[in-house]
Amino acid sequence: MGEVILTMSGIDKSFPGVHALDHVDFELRRGEVHALMGENGAGKSTLMKVLTGIYSKDSGTITFEGKEVEYHNTHDAQEAGIVIVHQELNMVGDLTVAQNIFIGREFRKGFMIDDRRMIEESKKLFDELHINIDPRAKMSDLTVGKQQMCEIAKAISHKAKVIIFDEPSAALTEKEIDDLFAIIRDLRSQNLGIIYISHRMDEIKVITDRVTVMRDGTYVGTLITDECTKEDIINMMVGRVIYEEPKTHSMVPADAPVVLKVDHLNAGKMVQDVSFELRKGEILGFSGLMGAGRTETARALFGADPKQSGDIYINGEKVTINSPEDAVKHGIGYLSEDRKRYGIAVQKTITENSTLATLKEYMAGLFINKSTERAVTLQYIKELDTKTPGPDQLVVNLSGGNQQKVVIAKWLVRNCDILIFDEPTRGIDVGAKNEIYKLMNRLAAEGKSIIMISSEMTEILRMSDRIIVMCEGKKTGEIPIEEATQEAIMDKATRDIR
Amino acid sequence: MEKIKNNPIVKKLGFNRIILFLILLLMYGAFSVIIPGFASMARIMSILNYVYFLGFLALGVTFVIATGGIDFSIGPVMFCCALMSGYSLNTFGVPVVVALLMSIVIGMLFGCFNGYLVAFVGVPPFIVSMATMNIAKGLGSVFTKTQSVSWPQSNDPSGNGWFRNLVKVDGIPVGLIIFGIAIVILFIVMNNTRAGRYILCLGSNKEAVRLSGVNVRKWQMLAYVICGTMAGIAAIFFVSAYTTVQPGLGDTYNNEAIASCVMGGTSMGGGLASIGGTVIGVFVISLLQEGIMAMRMTKEVQMIITGLIVIVFVYADVSARRRRN
Repeated sequence: MGEVILTMSGIDKSFPGVHALDHVDFELRRGEVHALMGENGAGKSTLMKVLTGIYSKDSGTITFEGKEVEYHNTHDAQEAGIVIVHQELNMVGDLTVAQNIFIGREFRKGFMIDDRRMIEESKKLFDELHINIDPRAKMSDLTVGKQQMCEIAKAISHKAKVIIFDEPSAALTEKEIDDLFAIIRDLRSQNLGIIYISHRMDEIKVITDRVTVMRDGTYVGTLITDECTKEDIINMMVGRVIYEEPKTHSMVPADAPVVLKVDHLNAGKMVQDVSFELRKGEILGFSGLMGAGRTETARALFGADPKQSGDIYINGEKVTINSPEDAVKHGIGYLSEDRKRYGIAVQKTITENSTLATLKEYMAGLFINKSTERAVTLQYIKELDTKTPGPDQLVVNLSGGNQQKVVIAKWLVRNCDILIFDEPTRGIDVGAKNEIYKLMNRLAAEGKSIIMISSEMTEILRMSDRIIVMCEGKKTGEIPIEEATQEAIMDKATRDIR
Repeated sequence: MEKIKNNPIVKKLGFNRIILFLILLLMYGAFSVIIPGFASMARIMSILNYVYFLGFLALGVTFVIATGGIDFSIGPVMFCCALMSGYSLNTFGVPVVVALLMSIVIGMLFGCFNGYLVAFVGVPPFIVSMATMNIAKGLGSVFTKTQSVSWPQSNDPSGNGWFRNLVKVDGIPVGLIIFGIAIVILFIVMNNTRAGRYILCLGSNKEAVRLSGVNVRKWQMLAYVICGTMAGIAAIFFVSAYTTVQPGLGDTYNNEAIASCVMGGTSMGGGLASIGGTVIGVFVISLLQEGIMAMRMTKEVQMIITGLIVIVFVYADVSARRRRN
């Protein structure tokens, strides 16, 4: 670690009704990877937005390379050498890699854009980072992992001195994460300061030098990663110890009936001949690497995407599901992996979102019975412990975990017997995560059947009664929880790759 | 200021709508001072004539904008309805009732056409309604052999002029009652029925609504059907007030109706809509039109002003959204 390159002290920021940052301190040195951790809503993103000029601070000082600074937009910050690699990638799919990297500052030859030079410069950048990507490739043809590498290359090309990674691993495979870490280590050795935001505890241990923890908009403390344990960090984040052992045996009675049978389902390249059964009260884990076809299987089953062939049986009866409407009619609920796009209408209230799948039941003749609708919403706010001033709150004002609870409430209100939870805890903090786990266990105990798609190994091992592993659109394994190990799952999840 | 904004009554009515209403009163006051004789019953009746047909157009298009769509065909569709039914009345001698119903049905059919193409075929609303605008203009011209159509006066010997009583009986603006009933019904449809709820939600996030098991196409199409039907009704009020309809016109009213919506707080991005706001917006535009006419300026001046209004209010809406996110 070198000298201090960036100091933020006493940063204060309020939004109407929320004290988002309460005199927060943060310090970054050259040549270190500094983790920024905290539950959702702890203020990590807000702090980074203040740093990069997206928000203006109410008070406090930012000192960068010994000078007090204040940026008014991301462009200013970029010019100064502070760049952010977002969780959601900002790339133009139809342009080439090189065109994306130099977008907005293209090299010119007279009036013409000098593509050749941009390709050469991109190649140089990739060589520096030991990345193997063809700068002429179309961005949309690359995997998410590769696209992220391009984003990093773009950041470097701005002569960055500080790079902020906002949950960079969320959409990456294990292999891609390894590659990402190699690049980050490389950047560290070049004396850059790196801020690393992540919810994944294992990664923090592997890649970071120091950890700063925030809670409820305040600075809690900074630890040296090598000298602390996971539990130390978690305790600082939530103020309580959370640790639960993996499931050791199935909670499903041996004679539990099969509620859902999927037979030779085919839907495009990503779902090839998938068959499985789901029993009453079971949590069936779907494991696999990103792009294994798990979400596609769920969407085809739910009728969200068209399928080519395959039969679906519910309680032994063959059913036709060609649209989400059909699926919901048959008592299937689907929590999407991408809440914002597929789960909630953000500018609408909690009530309006909660009853979206069941509005028919709240009709008094032609009119919506708003008082019963509200009462039910209130009931589920209480039951799920959704943190909100009331049911009329707009969903856009809730944190990720609470938004997820609204989506769950939607399906609980529907009283679905079969629930598909697609990455139910993605982007959700540890505390809310545990609540969702508890809820899933309770639902299963009540006789609901759950399909849980998850990319987190610990989550799969902790929650599932049985695990189905997929790889490149095919089902490659089915493991009872008693025999499940990380190694066994990983082996099946990568079977076709190597 | 914050205190006023958080007052429960103000919140219920909407702060922006109250401001818009105050602007309306201020405008009326200003016109009355500047223009001698503006503050007269005759002027008010004249403003109301404009309010009726523009009101139905604007209320209809509010539903379409709520879905995140747009309809640039309503003005010409209104004219097409008035031309085809009026021509049938004058030339084929169909009864007035039939002609009026015909107007509504033609509007509805245009709405079905737009809605089907947008919701089921997936053509962007902008393109669909631009095309329909021309179809409506052309159809109106072809049907009437490019001649203007005059609806019978109230004292017409045929007795066919009775429909004018929809607007005015002995100088009493009864049209206001019909318009008021329509406002209440559409307010309830928007806020208290499944149609309104789904239309608003799908305007906010269509995919989330679809994945909740809702037949989004059906409800999206319905918004256009409501809009087209309202254009058909608007046609009745237009001819009741202005008698003569010329083929090939009507597009200026698109912008005025859309301006009324965005002024009233309906978001061009979809998901947010205010029936009450649209109504106030309609009054503002109608007053503006009357004032400009009274100052002996041309319709073109009003077109410039409406154009600017749309830009200013859409800008305000977009920047408000940006601040919220």
